Order: sequence, then C-alpha cells, then structure tokens
Amino acid sequence: MEGILETHQLSKSFGALAAVQDVSLRIEAGSLHSVIGPNGAGKTTLFNLLTGTFPPSSGKIFLDQKDITGTPAHRIAHLGLARSFQRTNVFPAFSLLDNVWVAAFATGRSWGGLLFKPANKYPEATERARRALSDVGLEHKAHQLAREISHGEQRQLELAIALAAAPRVLLLDEPAAGLSPEETRRMVALVRSLKGRYTIVLIEHKIDIIMSVSDRISVMHFGSLIAEGSPEEIQRNPEVRRAYLGGIAA
Amino acid sequence: MKYQDLLVVAAIVALPFIVRPVIATEIWIFAIFGLGLNLLLGYTGLLSFGQSTFFGSAAYVAGWLLKHYGINVFLALGIGIGVGALSALLVGYLCVQRSGLYFIMLTFALNQLFYFVAYQWTSVTGGEDGMQGVPRPALLGLDFTSPLVYYAFVSILFVASLFIMRRIVESPLGKILQSIRENEVRAEAVGYHVPRFKLLAFVIGGAFSGLAGVLYAMLFGIVPLEAISFVFSGNVVFATLIGGSGSLYGPIIGSFVFIWLSESMSVVWARWPLLLGVAFVIVVLFFRGGVVEAWNRFWAWKAFSKPTN
Repeated sequence: MEGILETHQLSKSFGALAAVQDVSLRIEAGSLHSVIGPNGAGKTTLFNLLTGTFPPSSGKIFLDQKDITGTPAHRIAHLGLARSFQRTNVFPAFSLLDNVWVAAFATGRSWGGLLFKPANKYPEATERARRALSDVGLEHKAHQLAREISHGEQRQLELAIALAAAPRVLLLDEPAAGLSPEETRRMVALVRSLKGRYTIVLIEHKIDIIMSVSDRISVMHFGSLIAEGSPEEIQRNPEVRRAYLGGIAA
Repeated sequence: MKYQDLLVVAAIVALPFIVRPVIATEIWIFAIFGLGLNLLLGYTGLLSFGQSTFFGSAAYVAGWLLKHYGINVFLALGIGIGVGALSALLVGYLCVQRSGLYFIMLTFALNQLFYFVAYQWTSVTGGEDGMQGVPRPALLGLDFTSPLVYYAFVSILFVASLFIMRRIVESPLGKILQSIRENEVRAEAVGYHVPRFKLLAFVIGGAFSGLAGVLYAMLFGIVPLEAISFVFSGNVVFATLIGGSGSLYGPIIGSFVFIWLSESMSVVWARWPLLLGVAFVIVVLFFRGGVVEAWNRFWAWKAFSKPTN
C-alpha cells in the first residue's frame, strides 16, 4: 500500500544545526500516525517543512505520489494539507465563526465576488465553518470573540480552523499543549473522534495519549528517525526507551 | 439604511451652511483619502506613511492633462484613479516584501523619492510654486466654477466612495485583510497569499487616494508641492487615527475634525498645530479607537449611569 503523504530523506539545517536529518516517513491514508521525541528532536521543524513554512535543505515531500517539495505555505492548504499550531495561533479579535470562516473560504469552491459580495452570502463556506465548530464542540460560542474564551477552548478552536479547510491530511502539533488533565481528556476524545475521517499526523509529548490513539508511531531523536512501529513495538524498543522514555519508563 | 448613513447625509446638507463651501468640499475630499488609507491602516494593519505618493501623482498627472489638453472631468477622474492605483501597485509591490518598521520606512522613503522628482521636475510640476492654473471645466452643462455645484459633485462622489468601501470591507476580501491584521502567519497557513492581498489593499487604497488627489487639484486650481510630501501622508494618518481607525466611519470624522480645526484655527492662531498635538496625545493615551470609541464609550457610560427604576 502506498502512503498518502511521504518524505524521502528530508533534511533541514539552520547553520551548523541539523534540525531534521534524512527523515523518510510514510503516512498511510486513513491512519493516525504519531511523531514523538524529546524537546528539540525536530518534530515541529518537520511539520514546518511539510507545510512549506520553509523549504528543506534536501530531500523530497510527496502528497499522493506527487512531488510537493518547495510548495509555499499558502498553497499547501489548497492541496488538502492543514495544520494546527503548538502555540495557539488564532485570530483574536474575530468571532469563533469568523475564525473558521476565513479558513473555510480559503479552500472553498469559488472566490467569485471576492471584492463586493457580502461575506455572509457564501453558504458553502459558512456551512463548512459551522460544521468545523460543532466538530470541536464550540458551536454554542460561535459569536463570542476568540480572545475571550478559555485557553482550553482556544486549543479546540485551533483545531477547528484546521478542520474548516476540509483537509485530507491533518497535521496536529501538540493539540494538548498546556491543557489541564480534564481538558486533555476532552482533547483526546476529540482527536479520537476525528480518527478515520482524516489522515492524521500527530505530534505529542504526553506518552499516554500517543499510546492510546496511534496506529503507528515514529520516534525522532536529534533530528533523525530512530524507530518506527505500532505502539506495542515502540514500547518494547530498547533504543526508544533509552532515548526518550528513559526518564519515565526505565 | 443605518443611522450612520443618515448622519452622513445630514452632514453633507448642513456643512455648507456652517463652513465655507471650499472647506466643506475639502472635508469630503480628505475623507475619501482617509477611506483609502484606512483599508490599509485599520483593516489590514499596515501603517502606510506614503499615501500622498498616490494622491499627489494623480493630482499632477490629471492636473497636467486638464491644464494642457482640456480633458473632461470624468476622464480626469478616471485617469486620476488609474494613476493612483498604478503608483500604489508599484510602491506597494516593493513595500509588502517587508513588514513592521521596515515596511513603514519603505512607504516613507518611496514617498520622498516621488516628492523629490516633483520638486526637481519644475517644467511640469512647477516645483515649489506648485502646478498652477488647473481648470475646473464644466460637466454636462453644470458650471463647476460655482463652489456649491462643485461641492454637490464632490459629495456625490464621496457617497459613492463610501458605498464602494463598505462593500469591500464587508466582502470576503475585507475579512481576509482583517485576518492578516489579526494573524499574518495563520492567514498564510489557511491558504492566503498574504503579500498579494496586501498589495491588493494598496491598489484599492491608491485608487481612492487618486480620486481624492484629482478632486483636490480641481478644488484649489493648483497642485501644491505639499500634496505629494510626507506632510500630507502624515496628515491623513493623523486624521484617521483621531477619527478612529477601527471603524469605517472613523476617517470621515477624522477628516472633519482635522480640516475644520486646521482651516478655522489657522486663521486665528498661528500655533494651532499645538491643538492637534494635544488631540493626538489624548487619543493615543485614552481613546485608541479615536472619536468613534469616545462616542461609543460615552453612550455606554450614559446607559450605565442612568437610574434604573
């Protein structure tokens, strides 16, 4: 079976620092594939490469077997790849609905009337925006401002903005970052509910989350992949235990 | 129709009775200029310190054609809008490559560049003396040399500008520009080519500035060198901030305050810019949303302090 999203020997250096080194990944369509590793292992850099924030130093990225290496960030969403950010990255003075609406409109079917048609007369984008909000359970706050909701809700909104683009592949960068145990449980349930509907690539620190939701896990350490396998295989892998789980599970 | 629109119409009718028609006309021209700037400043979050580049270029080109080729008013306005948009395309293309302070300095530096071209090219622009003798030809049998007729004409164009600008800010483009103001990185990530949208805002703003520039040249019969200088660029930023950059109507109120103050006070007191300075300090310290915010807060306070029995 071929992967929907693949990287071939992807590398990125910042000066002398090799942030990502020869990473070859294959994400199966419909799976939830997690990328784990200690802080500074290069996970977020990998996401930034996949979403065109900056081009790789070498290596290639394929979406549906098509080479998308070097595609600029603003084109990526149109290819069906959407991301959420590790640090909450929303539109603070916008209502929640507007937050997701701009994402829905961006990848919508038509930009006709861009300059003069009232924004509330795009039923397709509005419908998609509402669905994204209800997917994360925020539809009852659609008209509140993003800066006025709690941190936990902002994390949900963060996810909704990515969903509104109707992506085929969803890249989630630590969706549970900074959440309380209760909020984390809710976020895990949310990610699990999205499983199967999207191909998901998940970066996460909290190991219990990873083990319970992932189909496959890749482990990064100092910019390189050191292991890949099912959650059970990863748990048994001695190298992973040494590099990553060392402090927790040794 | 919103109550703000009724206020605008009432102001258009009342203004010539309160101030001289020339000043009343200047207020609406400056308001058109402010509407264009505010698309950049208020909606996209871009502080352009070079709006007079587009205002002045349009005024010079259209003024020259009016003076030497006797083109009709509609053509002059069309050419002015075109020159405004085109110069904004050129300047904007360079400016949107950078952000923050560098962006602001670029708009300013390019403004200076245009200014010195106008300053040196005396055979066309008249240099420091300004381009004098710009006519105000009759249009469709209407005698534009009558100040009130010209006032009515400018008022209609202002209302049209306001209507168009409202359509723009309520369109998806308006939302996209605001999303860029709110969070550029995320706007890019959800699929918008941010520099291109900024450029589009520039071009639209430039077109409005161009229209204002031509109307200004015809109003005073002259294109002063000041019209392309950083002083004018600063004035429109100033007026918009005083009125309130967060709202569609802010620049209109700002224009009213600014022109009225400068025209009425400059006769009485040579140091009148001091007053503007004080007004600006008050706005920056207490009312970031300008007069519009002060107004809203006043009504909120009235409603709050009203006895509730």
